[in-house]
Amino acid sequence: MIGILLAKIKIFIRYPLTFLAMVVMSIGFALIIGGGNGNVINVPVYVADDAIRGTVVEDILNESEAFKFNYMSKAEVKQQIANGKAETGVALYEGDFRVLVGVDSPNVNLVQQTVNGAYSKKLQYEQIYTAANATTNSDKEEVKKELEETIADPIFSIQSANFRGSDAVIINRKLHTIFGFTLFFVIYTIAYNVFHILEEKNNGVWDRIILSPARKWEMYVANFLYSFGTGYLQVLIIFLVFRYWVGVDFGSNFGVALLMLIPYVFAIVALSILITGIVKTVQQFNAVIPIIAVSMAMIGGAYWPLEIVSSKFMLALAKIVPITYGMEALNGVAIYGYSLNELLYPISILLLMGVVMTGVGIHLMEKRHV
Amino acid sequence: MLELVNLSKKFKHLYAVKNLNMFIEKGEIVGLLGPNGAGKSTAITMLSSLVEPTTGDVRFKNKSILKSPGPIRRVIGMVPQEIALYNDLSAEENLQFFGRIYRLKGNDLKQKIDEILELIGLADRRKDIVKKFSGGMKRRLNIGVALLHNPELIIMDEPTVGIDPQSRNYILETVKRLNEEKQMTVIYTSHYMEEVEFLCDRIYIMDQGNLIASGTKEEIKRILSAEKTIIVKADRLNNTFIDSLKQNPTINRVTVENKTVTIIVPKEINIFQTVLKLAEEAKLELNSVDIKTPTLEDVFLHLTGRALRD
Repeated sequence: MIGILLAKIKIFIRYPLTFLAMVVMSIGFALIIGGGNGNVINVPVYVADDAIRGTVVEDILNESEAFKFNYMSKAEVKQQIANGKAETGVALYEGDFRVLVGVDSPNVNLVQQTVNGAYSKKLQYEQIYTAANATTNSDKEEVKKELEETIADPIFSIQSANFRGSDAVIINRKLHTIFGFTLFFVIYTIAYNVFHILEEKNNGVWDRIILSPARKWEMYVANFLYSFGTGYLQVLIIFLVFRYWVGVDFGSNFGVALLMLIPYVFAIVALSILITGIVKTVQQFNAVIPIIAVSMAMIGGAYWPLEIVSSKFMLALAKIVPITYGMEALNGVAIYGYSLNELLYPISILLLMGVVMTGVGIHLMEKRHV
Repeated sequence: MLELVNLSKKFKHLYAVKNLNMFIEKGEIVGLLGPNGAGKSTAITMLSSLVEPTTGDVRFKNKSILKSPGPIRRVIGMVPQEIALYNDLSAEENLQFFGRIYRLKGNDLKQKIDEILELIGLADRRKDIVKKFSGGMKRRLNIGVALLHNPELIIMDEPTVGIDPQSRNYILETVKRLNEEKQMTVIYTSHYMEEVEFLCDRIYIMDQGNLIASGTKEEIKRILSAEKTIIVKADRLNNTFIDSLKQNPTINRVTVENKTVTIIVPKEINIFQTVLKLAEEAKLELNSVDIKTPTLEDVFLHLTGRALRD
């Protein structure tokens, strides 16, 4: 078994181009389609009254996760809106603000709410300063400093949590694209590694190994481990690149997300073994793999979220596709913060699929031999 | 040593091999001759335990290999018709891989690899990647891999297909040497009758899944002992001469190809003078008249009415 594995690793190291191409394509597609800045919307801003500078309003707008407020001149703001580069812009005055609307979209309200919140906070702080000044005759700067220290180190720590109903859906386009393309492209890498079994069967290497003292289970395990290893290495590299190089937030359980890829990769290796068992020629394999990979990605929600699919038939089909459960497990970890109990469902289905498909695939491959 | 008893293999409605009976003694080179599609490859995959027969049995040292393929697999060296190698590895790496599969390690493996590379004439190309090899070199390495574990019995399925005459001779000489020096038993399939004629002690001729003749070369050629072949060559053959040959009642068959006329007559008939006389009457100048010894090709033609490479 070690000999078979070593030979495959040697060939892999000597010819890594296909593997690298798949890694680069996964990353490239996820970056292009997911967008470099994720869901952050650009909002041009100009300061109409300098008194607003250095206030809490600026701090709050800069900290916004949903919008990126870019400060520029009045003319530039108007130009961006006129050119369609921005849906909406904001003009900041000392006591109020104006929202300049180019395209009437739901984002306009959200921008208004965000800026409004910032001004409310500013008003709140000013009331505190006034009250403090009235009671203690303290200097405004002194109060402000004390207030900032208190906010940084509060007496009470209040935590809030949202309870998610079963129907609540959170769609994170960036994470969805990364997960989708990672799970999609790894199908090719794994399938074309398992496919070596078919090549070796056709060119007689497999028969030679059968006649040797090597056990049949060793041949299957070596091929399985090699295909699993290269598949997992690919998804691992992609996730690490996005996490540490691109800086994508995978939630607090990045390690668990990596673990969730194991049952998925296992199921895809098993699916490839099943296909190898069914097809008879290399040409058939080459024709079948793209059809299966693309249709599985579409049905299983790799290209778009399943939540936007309304057809009951398509949703029923999705239940038999490994990608569905791979996406569910990854979204569950990174977006919804699933507990282990919740994750057990997709994991179990993927493992079950893996075991059944491996069994049937090997049985079909073995039918020819004594 | 090895015996095939009423061996048949049926694929859907077609018999690839039908009621094949064969035996192979230790130290023999046995040829399995037949055109493409005769069932030779199916027969050897069954006798090497790779494919289960539909009916019949394969017995190795008096024990059925169907129930227990282990004993034959341990002593068999298989040279498949395809190039069963890793194209992306070097010659040495291929030998290392298959050597390890056969549980060879360390110095034993190294020595064996050196010996094999020397034997197949690839010692100076050991580090080269197989996909850069010529067809003949690949074929030689294909044989070398099968010799790594010192097999008692080597099965070669058309090992010279598609290679140049030089590599072909090298392979044939190597097989002969292995048999003579190491007493290796060889089963050699081919549709080149001259290879089988050169190498084999005994021959089985197959056609369309059936065994149509078997025996030593001489025994098989004796099938044609009742007739002889006369080859007449002339630069300007004319119809008068051909027609007069065809009308001659002592001649069994006349075939014409380019400048050559092949005449088949009963062995006891002396046709030489008659041919000269008919040529003179037809005003034909002959280049040569030869009496030919029958070949396996002639036997096959006689038995099936088709040439071996049809």
